[in-house]
Amino acid sequence: MVLQLHGFPTSTCTLRVAVVCKEKNIPFDFTLVDLLTGEHKKSPFTDVQPFGQVPYIDDNGFVLYESRAIGRYLATKYASQGTPNLVPADPKANALFEQAASIETANFDVFASGLAWELRFTKMYGGETDEKRVATLIASLQAKLDAYDVILGQQKYLGGNDVTLADLFHLPYGSVIVSIGVNEFDKRPNVARWWKDISTRPSWLAVKNGL
Amino acid sequence: MTLKLYGMALSTNTQRVTVVCHEKNIPFELVKVDLFANEHKSAGFLEKQPFGQVPYIDDDGFVLYESRPIAAYIARKYAAQGTPGLVPSDPQDHALYEQAVATEMSHFDPSASGLSFEMIAKKIFFKTDPDEARVAQLLSTLNAKLDVYEEILGKQKYLAGDEITLADLFHLPAGTRLVKIGLDVIEKRPNVSRWWKDISSRPSWVAVTSSA
Repeated sequence: MVLQLHGFPTSTCTLRVAVVCKEKNIPFDFTLVDLLTGEHKKSPFTDVQPFGQVPYIDDNGFVLYESRAIGRYLATKYASQGTPNLVPADPKANALFEQAASIETANFDVFASGLAWELRFTKMYGGETDEKRVATLIASLQAKLDAYDVILGQQKYLGGNDVTLADLFHLPYGSVIVSIGVNEFDKRPNVARWWKDISTRPSWLAVKNGL
Repeated sequence: MTLKLYGMALSTNTQRVTVVCHEKNIPFELVKVDLFANEHKSAGFLEKQPFGQVPYIDDDGFVLYESRPIAAYIARKYAAQGTPGLVPSDPQDHALYEQAVATEMSHFDPSASGLSFEMIAKKIFFKTDPDEARVAQLLSTLNAKLDVYEEILGKQKYLAGDEITLADLFHLPAGTRLVKIGLDVIEKRPNVSRWWKDISSRPSWVAVTSSA
């Protein structure tokens, strides 16, 4: 049976899984979970995903949530097709991939998703932008991207010289913050080169505007 | 050559690595990075860890940072000794383990570490009081997340299934801080309480806290 991806068409975390499917040429069926009516906050959705968040996958009865865990599972299961080594097998290369993936979660996502919330999503739910928080988040993001610029001056991608899931994981929130006018990637030459590279991959272009 | 761990015994992120070293009976040398003297922001340190954060390891010349990847690297390298299965190898078990690791990172750590920062670190490092509004917000988030943990841990013994994995151990440093602060978020939930008592009484964690 074809892989089932349950999520929302423009949800950042849903697209994080979709881009991996495209990189690995994995066909999938998309099932809409209607966030706007709160479908994700009640049964039967919460019976499967108890934190009430999208996405989750159903791979022939095997259910998994957390987009980065799903990405790793699919990249490993389909290691021999599509873009290779998105999760490297060699122990040291794997460790450096995991280091890069941890950087994405702890040193990028926190600030990028916070900015996405303050500058776009909160307004969709009737909230107001907290300008003070925006300033703090931008300052933190700038400091982290300064470190990215050092790393990306020494190697082509975040985990080494080949693209891995760690790079791809940045695409959804990276794209949102660029679209709301936070242009911190462009201000740093190595980060700009890396961002241009990953954000123009066919896999991302295929899904970036929604499923 | 003995594994070198650069960090501080009291640092939660350093402890996330030392507990795994104890679980796997891996000898290590803790090289102190003096956070109070801003050593982690020095040029020499930044060459190894460009974000200026502890810990990092030097394993015979192989340098790695970020505590959870370090822990996973050493647990896999020493798979054959100490507690087995901390990083499962079966594809589906491994996926459920990654789901649990992601759960700790996105659903537990932000509010647990946030509360630890507000109620412990701010006083020590910055001599300032907690922001009460932020504490209330963090506590509300943490309680909502732990309600879900209560549900999960009512169906299985540990976060990834019925066997202990790194995902459970990763909660120990920040979780211990919550208990130290005097918050009852763990003790008022029977399943979470049972799980917490199990993991926090492991000899590996006792070894970490008694040497901190």
